[in-house]
Amino acid sequence: MNRYDVVIVGAGPAGLSAAIEAAKNGMKVVVFDENSKPGGQLFKQIHKFFGSKEHKAKIRGFKIGEELLKEAYDLGVEVVLNAIVLSLHGEKELTVKVNDEVRHVKGDAVIIATGASENMVTFRGWTLPGVIGAGAAQTMMNLNKVRPGNKILMLGSGNVGLVVSFQLMQAGCEVVGLVDAAPRIGGYGVHAAKVARTGVPFYLSHTIVEAEGTDHVTGVTIAQVDEKFQFIPETEKHFDVDTICLAVGLSPMSQLLKNAGCKIVEDPKRGGVVPEVDELGMTSIPGVFAAGDVSGIEEASSAMIEGRISGAAVSEYLGYITKEELEEKIKVNEAALDSLRQGMFAPKNRGKLVEKTDEGIDVSMNLLKKGFVADEEIERFPGVTHRVGIHPVMECTQNIPCNPCQEACKKGCISIGSNITSLPIVVENSSCINCGMCVASCSGQAIFLVDEDLGDGMATVTLPYEFIPLPKEGTKGKGLGRDGKPVCEAEVVSVKNMKAFDKTNLLTIKVPKEYAMKARFFKAV
Amino acid sequence: MDESRRIKEHPIFGITEEKKEVHFTYDGKDIVGLEGEPIAAALRAAGVMVHRHTKKRDEPRGIFCAIGRCTDCVMIVDGKPNIRTCVTPLVEGMEVKTQYGVSDRPAG
Ligand SMILES: Cc1cc2nc3c(=O)[nH]c(=O)nc-3n(C[C@H](O)[C@H](O)[C@H](O)COP(=O)(O)OP(=O)(O)OC[C@H]3O[C@@H](n4cnc5c(N)ncnc54)[C@H](O)[C@@H]3O)c2cc1C
Ligand code: SF4
Ligand code: SF4
Ligand code: FES
Repeated sequence: MNRYDVVIVGAGPAGLSAAIEAAKNGMKVVVFDENSKPGGQLFKQIHKFFGSKEHKAKIRGFKIGEELLKEAYDLGVEVVLNAIVLSLHGEKELTVKVNDEVRHVKGDAVIIATGASENMVTFRGWTLPGVIGAGAAQTMMNLNKVRPGNKILMLGSGNVGLVVSFQLMQAGCEVVGLVDAAPRIGGYGVHAAKVARTGVPFYLSHTIVEAEGTDHVTGVTIAQVDEKFQFIPETEKHFDVDTICLAVGLSPMSQLLKNAGCKIVEDPKRGGVVPEVDELGMTSIPGVFAAGDVSGIEEASSAMIEGRISGAAVSEYLGYITKEELEEKIKVNEAALDSLRQGMFAPKNRGKLVEKTDEGIDVSMNLLKKGFVADEEIERFPGVTHRVGIHPVMECTQNIPCNPCQEACKKGCISIGSNITSLPIVVENSSCINCGMCVASCSGQAIFLVDEDLGDGMATVTLPYEFIPLPKEGTKGKGLGRDGKPVCEAEVVSVKNMKAFDKTNLLTIKVPKEYAMKARFFKAV
Repeated sequence: MDESRRIKEHPIFGITEEKKEVHFTYDGKDIVGLEGEPIAAALRAAGVMVHRHTKKRDEPRGIFCAIGRCTDCVMIVDGKPNIRTCVTPLVEGMEVKTQYGVSDRPAG
């Protein structure tokens, strides 16, 4: 039997961060992960992440995974892939199946960072080939480079449903609609808005009646539901699709801990059945810790911090660092964790309708119901101002833990302040040099550069563009509104792509000046 | 082969790297896939949706989780049943067959 100071299960952001911290403190660490690639959820994510710079925000998910992995390797962490941990028992012994061979290992301490698994829903026809999980769609398109389908309906409007819908479009699939039984969109407004502006309709208070087809999916029928989630007669809508993608939530994968005899609690605010843990992440079994989504569904940023805390905690538990050193590390990390757990989407607000922002501004109800801020609502947010000449317009209207925009602007035009969940504001008397860094850095693709009056009755709008084919200078088309409907004629006047933009192209379109604050996407005709 | 489902170019990944082509059979038909990709990916790229039929009700099943958890995608590979095609790499000359219950032929 192989022995280690600490055995970590799961090579996602939590597990890798824990491994890095423990190895830094001189421990012998092994990480097991069932996948053939490390990174957990991260290696399937191709969007720029939320969070703050310290939590690797604005870096694309798969790159964050690669960075963490390199750091772990450099510190001598052993990462074993294709290794599924079957059980944890007795004196911190684990049974691991590596490829086809069963191994037994023992750790003086164990960190479980197994993340979460996707929830399922059933409806007529749900077992038909062509009904897939959102994770499966990501695996197929982002890892295997095969489109899961051509025409797709997405069920679920949480961040996963929103992000995966956008990724499906990037892969060249058509998303015919985003459906959710809840009356409000569950994910971040900025994620919804970037989908909505391409023209994808949202159907809230709707769910799937039936997946149609004999051998595989050929269509789907949805219908509206009332407050009790009962179908309302004669509200059916049919779509011809070949794929139905399910993104109906994640549940912590706490099975290993449960079977090991850890105390388990049902906590809806943490996303389901989770281990009882103390502030260091230690479960009811001394020396067995839990970190990341397994102990409460959150974000990669919080998973990394929880990982670091548990890595420090095992180090202290086994005497590799002193109590004082641990306390020092915890102080820093707890403060960071606390700042992330604020705002509209904080665990404490889960399921609640938040009607006002922290700044006291009415939240856009249109955004919650249709996926975009209505023209008459947008002006009330502090990121949206009018100036002479080019200026940034931040259509970021909810309190989310995110601040790359502030970091991006070297001219000090954008401020969020020390509270990471505050809304971004345009700084008075600052002057924008049109460098485009804010547009490219915004994880929510919510920043536009607008010159409202060129003097000839026209205006320019610069927008982030991550699709192919990339329009060229001179391409004529339509300016689309926030709702994805054509509002005006538009012509591409510049396309910028620099290394620092990290694959986000900046498209500048010229539109009649009445549409400077309305046109937010471009479609070639 | 119908290659329309393969992503040849992507706004973030750029041009998809060329991989070695391999030949395999699906229910006796010749299909070309890419070496090392999951069998399921090669089948989806070729437009195959049904991987197996359930034992009791003879219902079709296909890829569902794509990470080896749900067993919906199991097929008979080189004579062995219950192979999770979503996590099994494709190798030149593989014989892949639709699985009916646990055999390679519909009952009755
Ligand atoms: C579509 C999508 C978009 C997201 N966007 C963002 C974002 O923009 N910003 C952000 O901060 N977060 C985002 N997240 C959330 C973030 O990815 C997760 O919160 C984070 O990955 C959780 O990290 P983790 O380490 O706890 O778990 P995971 O990343 O899930 O890693 C757990 C790993 O453990 C492995 N494992 C489980 N059980 C076993 C076992 N028994 N044996 C061996 N290995 C096992 C799993 O296979 C997995 O690889 C997104 C998530 C999704 C799905
Ligand atoms: S374009 Fe450049 S200068 Fe102008 S607001 Fe954005 S980051 Fe600042
Ligand atoms: S505007 Fe700033 S805070 Fe809002 S999503 Fe973009 S980067 Fe994040
Ligand atoms: S699709 Fe679920 S195991 Fe292969």
